[in-house]
Amino acid sequence: MSAILSALRVALVALVRSPLRSLLTVLGILVGIAAVVVVTSLGEGASSRIGGSIESLGSNVVYVFDTPRARSGVKRARGSAAGLTDADAEAVRRDALDVANVSVFTSNTSQVTTSFANAKTQIVGTDLFYFPVRGFELATGRLWTSTEERAKARVCLIGPTASTNLFGNADPVGRTLRIGKHPYTVIGTLVSKGQSPFGDDQDDRIMMPVGTWRGHVQPTLGNRVHMIMASATGFERADQAVAEIESIIRQRHRIRDGADADFVVRSQEQFRTTQERILKVLSVLLLSVAAVALFVGGVGVMNIMLVTVTERRREIGIRMALGAQPRDIALQFLVEAVTLTALGGALGLFVAGSLIAVARFGLGWSLRLGPAAIVLAVGTSLFVGLVFGFLPARRAAHVEPMEALRHE
Amino acid sequence: MAIASVQEEPFIVELEGVAKEYVSGPEIVHALIDVDLGIRQGELVAIVGASGSGKSTLMNLLGCLDRPTRGTYRLAGVDVTSRSSDERALVRNRLIGFVFQGFNLLARTTALENVELPLVYRGIGRRERRQRAERALEQVGLADRAGHTPSQLSGGQQQRVAIARALVTEPPLLLADEPTGNLDTRTSTEILAILQRLVFELGITLALVTHEPDIAECATRIVTVKDGRIDSDFRNPRVRDVRTKEA
Repeated sequence: MSAILSALRVALVALVRSPLRSLLTVLGILVGIAAVVVVTSLGEGASSRIGGSIESLGSNVVYVFDTPRARSGVKRARGSAAGLTDADAEAVRRDALDVANVSVFTSNTSQVTTSFANAKTQIVGTDLFYFPVRGFELATGRLWTSTEERAKARVCLIGPTASTNLFGNADPVGRTLRIGKHPYTVIGTLVSKGQSPFGDDQDDRIMMPVGTWRGHVQPTLGNRVHMIMASATGFERADQAVAEIESIIRQRHRIRDGADADFVVRSQEQFRTTQERILKVLSVLLLSVAAVALFVGGVGVMNIMLVTVTERRREIGIRMALGAQPRDIALQFLVEAVTLTALGGALGLFVAGSLIAVARFGLGWSLRLGPAAIVLAVGTSLFVGLVFGFLPARRAAHVEPMEALRHE
Repeated sequence: MAIASVQEEPFIVELEGVAKEYVSGPEIVHALIDVDLGIRQGELVAIVGASGSGKSTLMNLLGCLDRPTRGTYRLAGVDVTSRSSDERALVRNRLIGFVFQGFNLLARTTALENVELPLVYRGIGRRERRQRAERALEQVGLADRAGHTPSQLSGGQQQRVAIARALVTEPPLLLADEPTGNLDTRTSTEILAILQRLVFELGITLALVTHEPDIAECATRIVTVKDGRIDSDFRNPRVRDVRTKEA
C-alpha cells in the first residue's frame, strides 16, 4: 500500500513537471471517457423519460396519422379518399370494439396577441374526448360545452406556459386573446403536463373546439383533421385496437388489400419501441466512437510511457541498484500510466458534465450526470491505464541496472 | 594498528574461481578468468587496473548487478552466486552500499529523500526512514543540506549525499566505483577522508575501484586487475591517511 502511495507521489510529480505533455497524452482518453459518460447519461435519462412520458401522453393511446402521398403520376382530387376526417373518427367510435374514446386533433403554430404580450404558441383544435384520451385536466374555469362546439364559439383553454407568456401572472380566465383577426375568450386553464417524449412543452398551447379552429384559425376543406387519437379499453387491448382502427379506416378510404394505406396507426407502445431503437442505435454509435477514442488514447499513453521508460533508464538503474525489485519498478510505471488515464478520465468527466449541463439547462433535455456514469468513467479510465500501462511497465522492470548505470 | 588486527576479522567477500564470459558478436570475451579474492571486514581495498582490464566486471559481480559464469561468490557468509533478479535486488538492498562516479542521485529529489530511498525498498516506515536518513547525512556533514536537491549542491556535496545513501542501510560492504572521478583534487581528498573515516573509525568494509595511483595509496590493500586476472594483490605498507584533525 505504501509502495503504491510512494509510486503515486512520483507519478504526480512527473505529471506536474510536464503538464502540456501529460494533457496532450490524455486527450484521447478525455474524448473517450466523455463519450462514455454522455452515452450512459443519455441512456439513463431517456429510459426514465420514455417511461415517465408514457403516462403524460395518456395511457393506451393509439394514434392515427395522415400520410399525404405526393407520389409522381397519380394525383388525387383534394378532399377525396386521402386525409383523415371527422367521419373517420366517428366510424371508429361507432365500430371499433376495443376502443374506449376517440378524439380528433388539428393544430398549427400562430402568433397570439393580448393587451399584455405577443407570442407564438401552438393552437390546437379538438373535441371534448381529447381530455380523457390524453389525460389533460382542467385547472381553473370550465370546459367548452357541446353547444359551443357545434356553434363554433370563439372560446379557448390555455396551458400554463402560454398563459404566463401571454398574461404574465394574471388570471387569464375571462380575458380575451386574439389570433389573427379574431378575438377568443379564455374560459379555463389546463393542469401542467410537462414535456412530451418528443421534447416539446405540452403546456405551451391554446386549445379550442375543432369547429372553431377550422372556422377561424385555419379554414380547412371538408372536415379534415391532422390526427385521430383513440384510447384502447385496456393496455393489453392496444394491439387489437390498432388492428380494428386500421381495418375500419381502410374500408372507408377504399384501400384494396395489400395496397399501402394513406394513413398510419401507431400505439403508444410502438412509439416507445421506435424511440428505444433510435436510442440504441445512437448509443452504439457513440460507444463505437468512445471505444476508438479510448483505444487511440490508450496507445498514446502507452507510447509516452515507453518514451518515459527510455528517458528514465538511469533512474530505474539507480533504484534497482539500491534494492528496488523488478516488480517495484513495474508497479511505479503502472501507477504512472493509471495516473495519466485517471487524469484523462477526470477531464473527460468534466467535459461530459459541462455538455450535459448545456443540454439540460440550455436545451432543456432531461439529462443528468448519474452515479452509474461516474463509476463507469472512473472504472474505464483505470482499466485503460492498466491495459496500456502493462507493456511499458514490463519493459521498465526488465531494465538491466548495470547497463542503465553505465549510460551517462 | 587497526590494520594489524584485520587478519583475524571474518571474510565479507569470498570469490572462488569466478569467471565471467560475454558473447560479443561471433567471439566469446573472457572478462574475468578464474578470480579468487577474499576481503575481510574493515579492509579498504583499492581495485586498480587499466580500462578493459576487467575491473568494472569485477565491480558489477561484487555489487550483485551481474552473475558470474562460473565460480562462487559469498557475501557476508551468504552464497549469492546464482540468485534471481528479485533476490539480487534484496542482496543489494541489505548487504551492499553503492557510491558511483556520477553520484547517481535522483534529480529534483531532496538530499534527504535520496538517502531514504534504499529504506523505502526495504519497506521501512516513514518516521524511522527520516530519522535514519538524517543520521546518515549528519555522518557526512550535510545535515544542514537535507532539503536541497542535487542541482543545488556542489559535486562534492552530491557525492557525500551518495555516501550517506550507501551508509543508511548499514551494509556489510561498501562499493565505490571511481568515487572521485568527477571531482577536483581538493574535493576528492574530502571524499576520501570521509571514506577513510568510515573504514578506520567505524570498521566498515570498502572496495574502491580507481585508476589513479594516489587514490589507491589511501587503501590498506591494493588489488591490480589485468587481462581478466588478478595481477597483484598486496597490503599497502604506507597508507596515505588524508583524514584531517578537524571534524
